[in-house]
Amino acid sequence: MSSFTLGHFSQVCSQLLNHYYGEIVGQVGSYLLRRGNRMLNDIPTATGLSIREVKKALAVMIQHNLVKFQASERNNNVAEYTMIHHNVYCLIRYPKYLYMIKRIYGTSEEILLEILLNLGQASASNVIFHSANRLNEANVLSPSALHQSFQRLAQDNFIIRCPKLAENATLLKVPTLEIEEKEKFAVPNVEIEPIARMLKEKATQLGGHCDSEIIWRVNHERFDIELRNVILVNAAARRVDTTAGELYHLILKLWRESSNPDSPVTTPVSYNVIKDAVRKNDSSPILLEHFDHYLRVLYEDSAGLIDRAGDAGGGQFNLDYSKVFENLACASLDSIVLERFGSKALRLFRLTRIQKFMEQDQMQNVAMIPAKEAKMFTYKLLEHNFLQIKELKKGTSNFAPVKSFILYHVELPQVVRTTLEASYKGLFNAMVRQMHDLTENQRLLEKHAMLESMLERLKGDGVPDEEIAELSDTMPPAEKSLVEKIHLMSDNLTLGQTQADETILILESYLKFKSKEL
Amino acid sequence: MGGRGRGRGNAVSFNIEQLGFGRGEAGPVSVTQPPPLFPSLENRPLPLIKDVENEYILVTQKDLSTRMRNSPFYLKKSENPSYEKELPVLWNRMPAELRETLPKRIATGNSKVTLNAKKKKVEDPDKIFAKLEKKERNESEVEEDGDGKEDEDDQDKSDDEKVENEDDVKEDLDDEMDDDTDYANNYFENGEAYLEDEEGQDDGEAQF
Repeated sequence: MSSFTLGHFSQVCSQLLNHYYGEIVGQVGSYLLRRGNRMLNDIPTATGLSIREVKKALAVMIQHNLVKFQASERNNNVAEYTMIHHNVYCLIRYPKYLYMIKRIYGTSEEILLEILLNLGQASASNVIFHSANRLNEANVLSPSALHQSFQRLAQDNFIIRCPKLAENATLLKVPTLEIEEKEKFAVPNVEIEPIARMLKEKATQLGGHCDSEIIWRVNHERFDIELRNVILVNAAARRVDTTAGELYHLILKLWRESSNPDSPVTTPVSYNVIKDAVRKNDSSPILLEHFDHYLRVLYEDSAGLIDRAGDAGGGQFNLDYSKVFENLACASLDSIVLERFGSKALRLFRLTRIQKFMEQDQMQNVAMIPAKEAKMFTYKLLEHNFLQIKELKKGTSNFAPVKSFILYHVELPQVVRTTLEASYKGLFNAMVRQMHDLTENQRLLEKHAMLESMLERLKGDGVPDEEIAELSDTMPPAEKSLVEKIHLMSDNLTLGQTQADETILILESYLKFKSKEL
Repeated sequence: MGGRGRGRGNAVSFNIEQLGFGRGEAGPVSVTQPPPLFPSLENRPLPLIKDVENEYILVTQKDLSTRMRNSPFYLKKSENPSYEKELPVLWNRMPAELRETLPKRIATGNSKVTLNAKKKKVEDPDKIFAKLEKKERNESEVEEDGDGKEDEDDQDKSDDEKVENEDDVKEDLDDEMDDDTDYANNYFENGEAYLEDEEGQDDGEAQF
């Protein structure tokens, strides 16, 4: 992400920090986002906050994996702090993470993850303790079951261990943290009895415990991979049908188990292996019966969801991420052009993209659009930077006026970056508007919320209906409908933000894999 | 003045047809003001997708926002700096400089505060006047009472030390002075390195 830290992206990040952690953290975070590595003493002067506030803000951000530090070269006792841009942006995806975990595993894992997101970094016992507390509000769940859920999350790499303090770290003013590869997902032994005892005593804090030095955090990279997989599976399901989506989901799992996560192309998997996996997994009978056909449809499809890489073992299949995400990014751009300018403009855009370089006359002829309209749409696309121009001069005589060819083309990385920038801006606008609406009407909303909770309690206590109706009339219907409207608007803005985030994910993935292949 | 110059004077460098309008038609409309801040949308955007996932996300988002706002990690500008709850943060994994947020400074014992030597001492104005008066008196009695003056100076010094200690205890929470860097130490060189390594530099190159 640091390769394209855009202005609008920083704005989105500071808005997120403001929303979730308050103004102070927001200001410190914005400063570090803009300025990069900074030492503690530069921050109060630039932001106008007191040094105590800055220290607390930095501590909160380090705890939540938003800031990293290292000892400054000039002076070992002082640290330089840097924002981890990607993690700040991922704040917006927390609800999506919870949904995915709930869908893949279940409620207890969802609660574990939520607690870990709230705490930032915590030991396994702490997470289990707080989750059990939370779940006890609904029903009783034993800590050992939660311990098993925790292990499941670690096995699938959704949570990861933080680096631990090096041996001499307690002597240094700026501790060094390190971790070995094999330790990253190893769950330590957790003593269940102390946790169970604390729960019975209804304690709010778990005291000292044996694994308090082994700290866990959420593994953002794994969630990114999962989000990308969801997009690909949905693409497969949309292009063919849901059974194809199932098959694709299985094949993705096989690829993930065998490939290096950093490589842009997965290792090939053979036909027989896929067939075995389909049979072992409890797939639908349609899939078992027509498995051959589905596979064939998927790899012959032009979207590049599966590539045939060879013939050994009944056929070798792999996935080229850069190709798939290029197709997905182009599809996103196509639908953006369609919705903003119309289908004629879309025809021109797709034509130019596929044919690489075209002249104006050629475009209007091949696209079969009248000249004047073609010129208008071409100009509009050019104005909004969807098309780019390349001029070629021809003619060698010094007397006659020089004629030049004007060729139109689509430079995909540039267009994607412009659209990404626009998406960040749209996301930022939606967030600002939502914040504005909620703070402006805060008094009204709080009054409504208090009234609602009072009514709930009274209903639960069995108060007769007439009294309840009387109470609810203390708030006039005009105000109630206003509150409704505000809630509706806020919901729509949240949905808009979620959808903008999906587009952002596709475009970012395209740029990421494109830069890897070079 | 496109017609001036050598060669055929009347030709211009572009073909009039290429601009997209013929000779007789009107030219493009000229722009007289910046484009409007909220231009009207030509096409209405597609409706938002509302499925199971998004319903869940709406509910979770609201829940998460409330929880984060009520958590101890949400920092607000507090009015009373003396009462502060401890942040539930893993302090031993962070740089030491972040931990020094004690509201009341304890005079002895806490070696984290190392700055006393460098800070300016803010003494009471009364004590300053008292000292000045004493000095005046001393100067006028200088010839007569050499030893007495020294005693009084020693007394002044011990008074000053007591003043220093008191000031350390009830210092202003002047946090701006809380520099932990060795900036002051490193900035001013003490000149020892100046003449050391000049011998090796003369490789026959000119020195300016």
